[in-house]
Amino acid sequence: MTAAIETEKLTKYYGRARGIMDVDLTVEAGQIFGFLGPNGAGKSTTIRLLLDLIRPTSGSARVLGMDVHRDRLAIDRRVSYVPGELSLYPELTGRQLLTYLGNLQGRVDAEYREKLIERLELDTTKRIKSLSRGNKQKVGLVAAFMIRPDLLILDEPTAGLDPFIQLEFESLCEEARAEGRTVFISSHQLPEVEHLCDRVGIIREGRLLAVESIAALKERALRRLEIDFGSEVPVAAFAGLLGVRDLTVDGETLRCTVMGSLDSLVKAAAQFEVRNVRSVETSLEEIFLAYYGSGDGTMGKEAANAAA
Amino acid sequence: MLLRSVFGKTIRDLRWPTLWVGLGMGAMTGYFALLFPTYSKLFDLNSMLEKMGPVAKLLGPGADASTLVGFLHIELFSMILPALIVAFAAGMASGFTAGEESRGTIDVLLSYPVSRRRVVLEKAAAVVIGCVIAATAVWVMALAGAAASSSPLPPDRLAEALVMLVLLGLAFGAIALAISAATGNRAAAIGVAIALMVVMYLIDALAAIVDGLRSIQPLSLFRYYMGNDPLRNGLSLTDAAVLAAVTAVFLMAALVAFDRRDLAA
Repeated sequence: MTAAIETEKLTKYYGRARGIMDVDLTVEAGQIFGFLGPNGAGKSTTIRLLLDLIRPTSGSARVLGMDVHRDRLAIDRRVSYVPGELSLYPELTGRQLLTYLGNLQGRVDAEYREKLIERLELDTTKRIKSLSRGNKQKVGLVAAFMIRPDLLILDEPTAGLDPFIQLEFESLCEEARAEGRTVFISSHQLPEVEHLCDRVGIIREGRLLAVESIAALKERALRRLEIDFGSEVPVAAFAGLLGVRDLTVDGETLRCTVMGSLDSLVKAAAQFEVRNVRSVETSLEEIFLAYYGSGDGTMGKEAANAAA
Repeated sequence: MLLRSVFGKTIRDLRWPTLWVGLGMGAMTGYFALLFPTYSKLFDLNSMLEKMGPVAKLLGPGADASTLVGFLHIELFSMILPALIVAFAAGMASGFTAGEESRGTIDVLLSYPVSRRRVVLEKAAAVVIGCVIAATAVWVMALAGAAASSSPLPPDRLAEALVMLVLLGLAFGAIALAISAATGNRAAAIGVAIALMVVMYLIDALAAIVDGLRSIQPLSLFRYYMGNDPLRNGLSLTDAAVLAAVTAVFLMAALVAFDRRDLAA
């Protein structure tokens, strides 16, 4: 099966300023993919390269198996894009804008379009310039979904949406996936997309640090544990346990971080009198930061290898 | 209905500017045509021209205030109408790609199956339509004014002069379009186009009294617009071809430059 997105050593410099460097990214078709990174990490640069709005300094990119520059129009017929800083023609009403964009696209499922307008509770009679950010975003989302594209590229799509509409948006993404379409969502916040995505890639300072499935990340769930014992315990009793790190023993209290199963730690603790156990499960975001948070791409990869 | 294509959308965007420029230029021309007999009775316009001496030459070879044709030439076709049509065409053309870029709408537009070249071409075509509509308004209102004041004004010559006017506007429009497509900077595009127009106007006008300028007169597009005095003599195909060629060259430059460039985020 052809990958929905495939980049090879994709690199972009703006003059001497860094855009992205050597990004090798593959997004399989039929997935919801989260593209994560802090602001300025290169998410929008990557997306605008995929759309041929800017041209790479080196490397190449393919979308739906086609070259992003040479096969531009063929790609545009099957791909929708909602930019992060969404700007639409302010003088048009929502309805006029959808008509215009639909005509440019050539084919629109009118019935589906009306259903989308209803589901996202969009008032199409208002001019774009009078809409709030969230409502503008809704126009963009209707425009993107109404053509039933094979690939949706959404740059920070949930900014400004109220929670109810956000749920509706998520079910739209899931429906698209169920129909075998691919959704590529960029975000600077993992919690916003972690329950939605099958896989996530993280980009930092222009480099793709890792691509992981959400399931694999969850297997590596980190817990911070504090165990209070009835008496002082020797550190040596807990040294070298599988999956235990950041171990400190302070008199009667043990503190550590555990990755994966708690089994070996619990068994080691059982030989002493245990008074209390406090456990905090960390978010996926913290997991990501634990592995890749050094900010240095090469170190991030080593950490990923060590963890695998 | 106009929201079917980039061309239609651009026509829609240009509808009010086109209406105002067309009505403005038309009303001015019609007004002069209507009042010409009164003017020529009240003032001996030709003796005023003689008193101006060599400066009258600045008004070009067609400066003869005893006929409506000569009067329109002096009052409107030598400076005001060209300035207006150039400002209109260059103003519109400079706003197309640069305007969509600075507003950020270009990202959405180009994510639809419309090539960059087609965007430029369809927008350029809309300016041609806008200029033709504005010129047609001038033609209708000028002839109406002339008929009302029973002054002779040959409709075919007027049409030919207006064709030259449109070609002049399009040439400067194409220059503005090329700069805007290459740089994404609307202010630079319109500024350069207007500055060029002023310089070219001065070269062409002053060449009549300053010998040193005569060698560079062919560099001025006004030379081709005015050279044959189209309102009196009809248009020269050569002059029209020069203006059309300049337009084509800059349009090509705009297409190539816009196609190659990184677009602003």
